[in-house]
Amino acid sequence: MAVESAAVPPEQITRILFEDFAPAAVTLFYLIGFAAIGAFLWGCWVQVRKYRRGQPAPEAAGDLAGRFLRMAGTVLSHRTVERRDPAAGRAHRLIFYGFALLFIGTSIITLQEDILGALFGVKFWYGGFYLWSSLVLDLAGVALIAGLVYMMIRRGWIRPPKLDYARPDRQPGDPDYDRSAYRREDWAFLWTLVIIGLTGFVLEAARLVWLQDRPGVWSTRNWSPVGAALAEAMRAGGLSAGAAGLLRSGLWWFHGLLALAFIALVPRTKVKHIFTAMGSLMVRDPLAAQRLPKLPDDAQDAAAGASAAVGYAKITDLTWKHLLNLDACTKCGRCHEACPARAGGAPLSPRDLILSLREHSNRTLESTLIPGEADLDIHGGRVGQISSETLWSCRTCMACVEICPVAVEHVPIIVQMRRKLVEDGEMDPLLQKTLQTIHKTGNSFGESRRKRGGWAKALPFPVKDARKEPVDVLWFVGDYASFDPRNQKVTQAFARLLHAAGVDFGILYDGESNAGNDVRRVGEEGLYEHLAGSNIAALGAASFKRIVTTDPHSLNTIRNEYPQFGGAWTVSHYTSFLLELVNQGRLKIDARHAYRATYHDPCHLGRFNKEFDAPRELLRRTGCELVDMARSRDNSFCCGAGGGRIWIPDPVGKEKPAQIRVREAAQIEGLELFVVACPKDLTMFEDAVKTTGFEGKIVVKELLELIEECVVAQQVEEVAAA
Amino acid sequence: MKILVPVKRVAALEDDFRIRDDGLDVEDEYLSFDLNEWDTFALEQAMLIKEAATAQAGAAVEVVAVTIGPDDADEVLRACLAKGADRAIRVWADAITGSDPIAIARILAAVARRESPGLIFAGAQSADQGHAMTGVALAALLDWPHVAVVTALDYGAGQDRANATRELEGGVLQDVDVACPAVLTIQLGINKPRYASLRAIKQAAAKPIETPTLSELGIGADAIGPAGSASRVRRVYIPEKGRAQLIEGSAAEKAARLAQIIREYKAA
Repeated sequence: MAVESAAVPPEQITRILFEDFAPAAVTLFYLIGFAAIGAFLWGCWVQVRKYRRGQPAPEAAGDLAGRFLRMAGTVLSHRTVERRDPAAGRAHRLIFYGFALLFIGTSIITLQEDILGALFGVKFWYGGFYLWSSLVLDLAGVALIAGLVYMMIRRGWIRPPKLDYARPDRQPGDPDYDRSAYRREDWAFLWTLVIIGLTGFVLEAARLVWLQDRPGVWSTRNWSPVGAALAEAMRAGGLSAGAAGLLRSGLWWFHGLLALAFIALVPRTKVKHIFTAMGSLMVRDPLAAQRLPKLPDDAQDAAAGASAAVGYAKITDLTWKHLLNLDACTKCGRCHEACPARAGGAPLSPRDLILSLREHSNRTLESTLIPGEADLDIHGGRVGQISSETLWSCRTCMACVEICPVAVEHVPIIVQMRRKLVEDGEMDPLLQKTLQTIHKTGNSFGESRRKRGGWAKALPFPVKDARKEPVDVLWFVGDYASFDPRNQKVTQAFARLLHAAGVDFGILYDGESNAGNDVRRVGEEGLYEHLAGSNIAALGAASFKRIVTTDPHSLNTIRNEYPQFGGAWTVSHYTSFLLELVNQGRLKIDARHAYRATYHDPCHLGRFNKEFDAPRELLRRTGCELVDMARSRDNSFCCGAGGGRIWIPDPVGKEKPAQIRVREAAQIEGLELFVVACPKDLTMFEDAVKTTGFEGKIVVKELLELIEECVVAQQVEEVAAA
Repeated sequence: MKILVPVKRVAALEDDFRIRDDGLDVEDEYLSFDLNEWDTFALEQAMLIKEAATAQAGAAVEVVAVTIGPDDADEVLRACLAKGADRAIRVWADAITGSDPIAIARILAAVARRESPGLIFAGAQSADQGHAMTGVALAALLDWPHVAVVTALDYGAGQDRANATRELEGGVLQDVDVACPAVLTIQLGINKPRYASLRAIKQAAAKPIETPTLSELGIGADAIGPAGSASRVRRVYIPEKGRAQLIEGSAAEKAARLAQIIREYKAA
């Protein structure tokens, strides 16, 4: 498109601001504008003051440039917004870019009018630049409105269940049950923006009609195509230039005041997610759920006395980063949808937990003075408080943290709150007993330490004691693999495979204790420190090159959390280790099987440690036909055993997450095998297959068992003979 | 007021174990140790009275845990301190080895005279030896009243009488009104013992444990050990396997086999 009307000097091709306004009207507008900006700034300060009332978050400091670039990349690409909801992602991208461009456009006008123009007489918003910016802003307006209209259709007609704000943690009638205010706010937000956008276009059209006779106005109309089309329609409808001028004056004030009110309300409404989400993404901890926070040193120091707080008891115990997380939540419901506890009817939705805490912090920490201790308590059944049933429902499977588009850390917040419950002894009696047992015996089975390596006696070859002689590979066995009779068979299979491949390996025997991953996720941090310390000492005294484990839970805590306590080793899960052996030619797998199989990603292996491919590759090499479930890889659905839930009885009459998962697998036609790579999964799913009536139809197999069946028998015999 | 809670570090047998060469006990390495379960309920009962008094801003209650045993026994006192006991006392001398429950009660009585508590809560019995004797013997030595096997208690700090409920055989309950000071032996299930977090246990490690000597307590050598005991362990052994057998098979086969066994016995 070429710039027409060469006869008109380019300086005159522009839009004159406040055209035909009385000086008093302009002054009035500026006063209202400053008031709106003042309200905006004051609101921002109130928010910042609220976050400053939290605890320090040292993990959120440092590498500002890197953090900013990663945040900007996430925001600009909309990578996290479009996951598992591409339509909403596209619509949000339209709104985001539309809004951002319109904001930049308005800022450019402000820059000329109130800063460069007013102070230095510099003008640039005319001619070609003006026309191009008109075109871009018109398109931005179209994008904004299109995105908003889709969101209205989504809320009004498509109505995905995750947006209905039904909460599982409160009953109807409870004073805290009603979340309809959020729904009203959502609609108010959408309508306000749509009206601002639409009136902008009508305003543009009215101006074109009003000034149609001025040179350079009507002739350049097509640079704002939407405004031009509307203007044509107005003219065809018989709107005169004079009437258009009146319409423009009225609409100008309406549009302007609405936009200013919107700005003033940003810090007080859901609009603030523009800032809070970006802030939350800036301080994102990529290992938030994998590596839980240590207690501050003063809480560990016994001599410091019992007064130091443990975990989150009051809203002011949250770090400023977690307080910011609460405000970043956009209620998109992805965590609500992904949560296995919620799916099983437990009184927990990660979204509702975050919203309750947000309401609590807004009520107590936005006021000038912080209320008394009693009003800051976040535990209990009153409005804005979280019940212990809700907290104990969590499986710490990380599905919520992983899918959150704005980096909210649900799991660390829940575990911090559980630490307080543990300190007060508010837990299931069986869990209490298990923790005491683990403290006493070092394992959750209450077995004698001396029996830990007992499974090795049944093997035809000795398993080295890594406490007594150096080994290449230190095998950290873990509780379930050591003591559970069903899992012991798998453990022995792994030993035979290592032996067959000629790996120099050993175990710690009774020097090993429960790795503590789940104890830590229960919130018994003192016991975790005790277990981690004891294992780190045992590992430190042994001589080895690397650690291998069959237990994803042990893998996670040794890899990600032991370094916090001074134990840093290379640790691999058996799947990646065996694949290495296969690739080196040390282990030969014959594709003997022809089963139709599905693979369940264990939370701690997949989502936590991003190991999705090695187990699938091994399964493929056994000859099995792999068919993934609808939810797989990072979207894998927890078996329900995590976060210490394996030690807490599930409520009777409600479907367990493992049962939901087996039904999901059963939808695969002709499925024969349900393959797992985690000792707890084996226990949970063998049970679930029985209780869901799929016994005899679907067989649960540990990947190790399938591999052993496919390892050339000769190889085993050769090595055994050597 | 003060509540004294005598506690014991009890042994539990592992699945396989060996009898000591002297035949008087099980080898130590096959034992795991813990605070006697009955004592956790006794301590909890004391803590409930203490907390109720604090909540009502009434008289302050001091809970004192005491045990008789060597250094290792400190761990059960630490558990008591972690759960909120105010002080802990441990009495030991090698000469105490071989004491029977009455000799142990003699030492506890000396501690009680020094502390002069308003109440003593002892576990109804110990999980390893099960004499159910120490608490009652302690009452006799102090010449205090006692209520044994208490399943419910109505008592507020500072009151001079306590109302205790006991469970008799056959499902009959007995309410006993007792004058304080008194010794109550506490049955399982009277309350819900609290959890001591590892952090609390670690913090308790920094608290002092008082260790008065026998002479400080005024106990002579003839009052303790074998010399002060009227009973002694002669032998610990595993009885020969019983003659019980499990009959397997269908209902008809089981019945036939059972009939056969009965006939054999009648004939014998």
